[in-house]
Amino acid sequence: MDFALFPDNTYAAISDVSRSSSGLGSTGLRRVPPVPVKIVIAGGFGVGKTTTVCSISDIQPLTTEAEMTEVSNGVDDAGDRYEKHTTTVAMDFGCITIDETLKLYLFGTPGQTRFNFMWDDLAHGALGAVVVVDSDRLNDCFPAVDYFERTELPFVVAVNAFDGHLAHQLDDVRWALAVKETVPVLRFDARDRLSVRDTLLALLGRALERAGGQA
Amino acid sequence: MTQPGDGPAGRTAENRDDSSLGGILPRLPPYVLSGRSKTTDAPTAEGRPSEESAPSAGPRPFVITRGRVLGEVADIDIETQVSAVDAAGAPERGVETLPAESQEIVALCAQPMSVAEISARLRLQLGVTRVLVGDLHAAGYVVVHAEDVPDPRSPDIIQRVIHGLRALS
Repeated sequence: MDFALFPDNTYAAISDVSRSSSGLGSTGLRRVPPVPVKIVIAGGFGVGKTTTVCSISDIQPLTTEAEMTEVSNGVDDAGDRYEKHTTTVAMDFGCITIDETLKLYLFGTPGQTRFNFMWDDLAHGALGAVVVVDSDRLNDCFPAVDYFERTELPFVVAVNAFDGHLAHQLDDVRWALAVKETVPVLRFDARDRLSVRDTLLALLGRALERAGGQA
Repeated sequence: MTQPGDGPAGRTAENRDDSSLGGILPRLPPYVLSGRSKTTDAPTAEGRPSEESAPSAGPRPFVITRGRVLGEVADIDIETQVSAVDAAGAPERGVETLPAESQEIVALCAQPMSVAEISARLRLQLGVTRVLVGDLHAAGYVVVHAEDVPDPRSPDIIQRVIHGLRALS
């Protein structure tokens, strides 16, 4: 860690970050950034991931793009050949400022699951994930459920009830997704801020249990 | 006339096939399936059904990410915070000598900014952003706060997030 960048004697102040809630160094000039935490909002195409983020984000949701160069074997009349093409993968995200020392980011996964390694990038160090499900298209969320079961991350399954309708009862959804009993399966409305909040709280409750804390 | 609990118009409780949940077969967890390929393709934007790819049938694409590997700062996550060094602590070689994108990054990071936000606001590819902030950190124009953060998954942090969210109205 190199903090010789700072002209005043704030090196010691930085090592005190964990004890200081104000985040200010000894001179009051040091800008200590808030601790960032993140939750992944996953699920198939068009299920309401971006709506979920929009409903609760403090900032206008943003989109970050990553460009991937894919090399694939193509077999044509001339035999094997390599094809190279680039694809842009977009991820919508938002942020909730918990307080001046803590920010919660919500990152939506890209729709295409062949970019699973992008999910690795999103999921690395995350508190957990919400797998958003459209009850009319349960199949679409199978890749996300597969993925998060394989990771160590806590996750919840959140069935997005459009216009108050659920195509299937939650028990049926749990059966169809074959998730463990410990995985919460709940319904929510992605357009409703408090509903999204409650979904995040359900996830955080699981995360806290797994982290060994008391709710 | 629809009843509570009906699906969208046209799909009533009578239409529902209880034996397979409206035609949906239950998901089989990956460990149950033998010989199945590791990845299944999700439905595309056009809504085509997912392919159950036959094991190792046909070519499998592999992906090369652009951008070189950063040696300077390990573990730059997308939420990692970046803050500009104030003028007094900045390198002698002024910011104005840097390429335009780098200048924009330093300017944006006057307030702590995540790598993802830098990428989104400046319309830079995520991989490129990581490389640039790593270089700027090494050169002394910004601080990338990758290692000086507490583990976000500690009970203390999780509880703070919970309390903060509960306060939302």
